[in-house]
Amino acid sequence: MAASDNSGREKQAEEMSHRWLELAVPLLSFGGALLAFIILITNFPLDFRISILGCVLASWVLAYLAWIRPRKDIVALTTPLYSFIFIAVPTDVFSSVVLEVLYAASLTILLVRLKYQFGTTASAAYRLKELAAPLKTYIARTSGSCTGISPGSGHSAAVIFVRFAEGNYGEAARESGTAAGQLEDAGTSSCLTRAFKIVREHAALLDKSLPRPQVFLTFSPDDADLLAKPVSDSPEKDHEFYTTLDNALLLLFSAAWNTSEKDRIHLLACEAFAQKLFMQ
Amino acid sequence: MKIGNVEVKVSIVAIAVFVIFTIFLIVASLSSPEVRSQLIWLVPALFMLLVIPTALNYMSRSQYANIAPVYEAEAKTVRIKLINESMVGKPVRIEGVVERVYYQWMNRPQYLVADRSGSISVKMFTSPDEDVKVNDIVEVYGQVIHRYMITGDPVINCVLIRKIKKS
Repeated sequence: MAASDNSGREKQAEEMSHRWLELAVPLLSFGGALLAFIILITNFPLDFRISILGCVLASWVLAYLAWIRPRKDIVALTTPLYSFIFIAVPTDVFSSVVLEVLYAASLTILLVRLKYQFGTTASAAYRLKELAAPLKTYIARTSGSCTGISPGSGHSAAVIFVRFAEGNYGEAARESGTAAGQLEDAGTSSCLTRAFKIVREHAALLDKSLPRPQVFLTFSPDDADLLAKPVSDSPEKDHEFYTTLDNALLLLFSAAWNTSEKDRIHLLACEAFAQKLFMQ
Repeated sequence: MKIGNVEVKVSIVAIAVFVIFTIFLIVASLSSPEVRSQLIWLVPALFMLLVIPTALNYMSRSQYANIAPVYEAEAKTVRIKLINESMVGKPVRIEGVVERVYYQWMNRPQYLVADRSGSISVKMFTSPDEDVKVNDIVEVYGQVIHRYMITGDPVINCVLIRKIKKS
């Protein structure tokens, strides 16, 4: 309980520090421009180039905020490079004020873009986002069966699911073959082992753009309770073949979600694909 | 019109623009002697309205013709259901029925292609080799992209679309 309180406080502190950093971007950049403007109108005996530091620091803060997000914004990440131009290019005080105001406005726009288009920070995204139904319901239904699965197998399931979603079928086939082999070596012949083998078979076929074979792997009738979609008794083999793949992938997703917490960020990124698998 | 091995198609929009400006030029040159004195550069400029879209169409179609074999070699055949946001940038091949055709008159056709697992938009940024119509069974080679470049649902940036006969 105390540990969970501490973790909650840590998360709050982390969110607060991110908010301060977000605020620092316009404050530092516009602050620098304001300082340059004051030097311009008062002829204060201070080198105006000191004001450029505001934009430089704001750029580094923006780049940091872009770095800690799961989706990287290359534009925000490269702003420190552009801020270097401020130092490298000699200019007069008036041009510097105009340039700094424009640069500060650009950084602020990039910050807004970063917040709304590149989502929350990695840790916040993981905490805030929940899976939607029917995936959420399926994962809750199968969570009891995942208790015996090792975190290593859970991680493998996550990697394979992500590779498959990305269309890296060759890699998915190799990884699932290895994972199935490891489970069999450990003397386990579970529903998860069959799911790994089914994904391996499909991924290998997809990698070579081959059609459905006449004979293919399926789940055993005992696994029916753990499957997301019922495999109908229809004589149409295509339907059975593709439903078996959907079930295998969803089982890997569930195993990964329930046993490998650190991979949830990656699984969340593929949620739309997992939800799609529930469609007939 | 064929230039080399490339069949060039000028869009109806480019022709309409050319016709409208030709009418403007004729009316203006009949009513104003000043315009008539400028015809030496106005007439070539008018023809540029046809030449530039034709040249652009030739260049894009010859580029597509060059990269099509690369896609034919590298693209994986997938069901439409498997195409998702994580596959952005991947070359893919799909087979399906054309359910709708849009913007063909602009030389930027967009097709809605469906197989038994789902449907997907197929965008083409030049005119296709074949005249593809609704209900045609086609194979599509292309790259998975976002509908609006950086956001939106996954669609296929089509490099090659051709009709196939399914037994």
